Amino acid sequence: MKNYFKKVKYYIHIYRMILIQDLKTKMSFRADFLISSFSGIMLNAASFISIWIMFQNFSSIMNWNYYEMLFLYGFSLLALTPQLVFFDNSWVLCDKVFKGDFITYCFRPINIFFYYTFEKININAIGQFFIGVTLITYSWIKLGLDVNTIIVFKLIISLLTASLFMIAIVIFISSMSFWIINAKGLMDFFSKFKDYTRYPFTIFNNFFKFVFSFIIPIGFVAYYPSLFFIHTEELSWISFFGVFYGIILLYFSYKVWVKGALQYSGTGS
Amino acid sequence: MDKTIEINNLSKEYKVLNRKEGFKGAILNLFSKDYKYIKAINNVSMEIFSGEILGILGRNGAGKSTLIKMMTGVLKPSAGALSINGNTPFKNRKQHALNIGIVFGQRSQLWWSLPCIESFKIIKEIYSINDDVYEENMNFFNELIPLNELMNKPVRLMSLGQRVLCDILASFLHNPKIVFLDEPTIGLDIDVKDKIHKLILSLNSKKKTTVILTTHDMGDVDAICKRIVIIDNGEKIYDDKIYKLKKYFGPNKTLLAHINSNKIRDDSVVITNIKKLIDKHIQLIDYLSVECNNRWIKIVVDENQISVLKVLNLIQKEFDIDKIEIKEISTESVIKKIYEGKCL
Repeated sequence: MKNYFKKVKYYIHIYRMILIQDLKTKMSFRADFLISSFSGIMLNAASFISIWIMFQNFSSIMNWNYYEMLFLYGFSLLALTPQLVFFDNSWVLCDKVFKGDFITYCFRPINIFFYYTFEKININAIGQFFIGVTLITYSWIKLGLDVNTIIVFKLIISLLTASLFMIAIVIFISSMSFWIINAKGLMDFFSKFKDYTRYPFTIFNNFFKFVFSFIIPIGFVAYYPSLFFIHTEELSWISFFGVFYGIILLYFSYKVWVKGALQYSGTGS
Repeated sequence: MDKTIEINNLSKEYKVLNRKEGFKGAILNLFSKDYKYIKAINNVSMEIFSGEILGILGRNGAGKSTLIKMMTGVLKPSAGALSINGNTPFKNRKQHALNIGIVFGQRSQLWWSLPCIESFKIIKEIYSINDDVYEENMNFFNELIPLNELMNKPVRLMSLGQRVLCDILASFLHNPKIVFLDEPTIGLDIDVKDKIHKLILSLNSKKKTTVILTTHDMGDVDAICKRIVIIDNGEKIYDDKIYKLKKYFGPNKTLLAHINSNKIRDDSVVITNIKKLIDKHIQLIDYLSVECNNRWIKIVVDENQISVLKVLNLIQKEFDIDKIEIKEISTESVIKKIYEGKCL
């Protein structure tokens, strides 16, 4: 047990060092930092506008009104942020594996997943966090929901568990690079599903509902956990199940990733 | 001397699909179970002693990389035993990683956007290096190359030479017992190559680190290795001291002499003249090869039978010689002949 704590301390210490260094270098490229933060915000603004236009023409989508949709959108933005900020390196794993650069990660006396994944931090994506907070607060006020410590605590817990799903999906899909030569297409394919997290699942038929709940579990990113706060009449056991399901998926995809990494032997040279 | 690495009958097989050609073949490949086995390393045994600098040579695709990958613990051998400091590398990778350092000439292991010193600090934490050891090493490194200008420069802004120097230093930072250098001088100019040779030699002599070098550059081998292993088609075909390699070829030397006279037009006349000349004075003619090109005479002499100077003495009586050059046979040409199967 004591050993275990020592290990955790060791990893936290190293992560902190990498984080501080990364921030320092990001700050030294001020223009780069500002422009990429700005482009991130604009990207979100564009999809926000598409929702806004939609609601100029319809009063609701499957009984979900404008503010409820905004809540869902904000929730999904927040739940996707940890993946974007802390697991950004996963997106380029396929390139590194394909070109053989991944071999340089195999020789450190440290957990290979930790070493690879947390090598980079995409701090620019933090802009998305603030948009998410703004959207949730705004829709919260407009919907006239209660504010108390328990509900805020519930919101934080459900956001944290929801964020595990995208992390698990990206880790799992990126780990496929260890077995198939070009996993880039697969990564692109799955990154598209992010957009579906913003819609209430009542718009899907049973087949897609099943797929998006259990096969590609993006329903847990925003829709199912949101039911704790809005549209509580749609709340079912699935939302509660999500809390545990995320942890299981994350553990499973981590194991697959490590298995792939350990059997990786580089390119021919 | 104690052994650091012991390799016994090590083999590595790869399972490869027998691929069929064409579009039809590509579809058949999807369902094919027709595998063949390729031996990348076949029954290699050797011992590597602590503190030694060993050069591993071989043509592209000979199996060098496979051998190194097995020694570093990335690849699991198919058969045979491999023991490094009493450990089996692939079984306990993290523990093994503490004892080795690796440098790839073509791939940096430092953090790309960080100043070099910050990478060193992170490495210090990853390997849990003591402050004293770190200080001592940094001071020692500073004696070898002036670090001040290097350390605050982000790795991505470094020249290739600077980057490789920093990578080598980083690999020695945690006092590893063995350092693997995979083509460290690839693409570098002579000046930097020389710096790297000196750096490796002084690190090796101070820290008694075993250094295993793979390279295609015979300059590296001549400059720093005492012993070389040559791998070809997955098998070890040579394993001995580097100077013994030259002895395999007999003490041949090449004599180059330039004739300072415009009268001689025909090179073949010169050749027959020299042959006659040598035949007249020394009876053993079959150990010489004589060539002539643009008034440059090239004679390969076997020194066991006749000295180069004697031959030179002979021809300069007959011809007006203005330039001479005596060349030892280079390691490169010996190794080239070994690959061609003309030796051993």
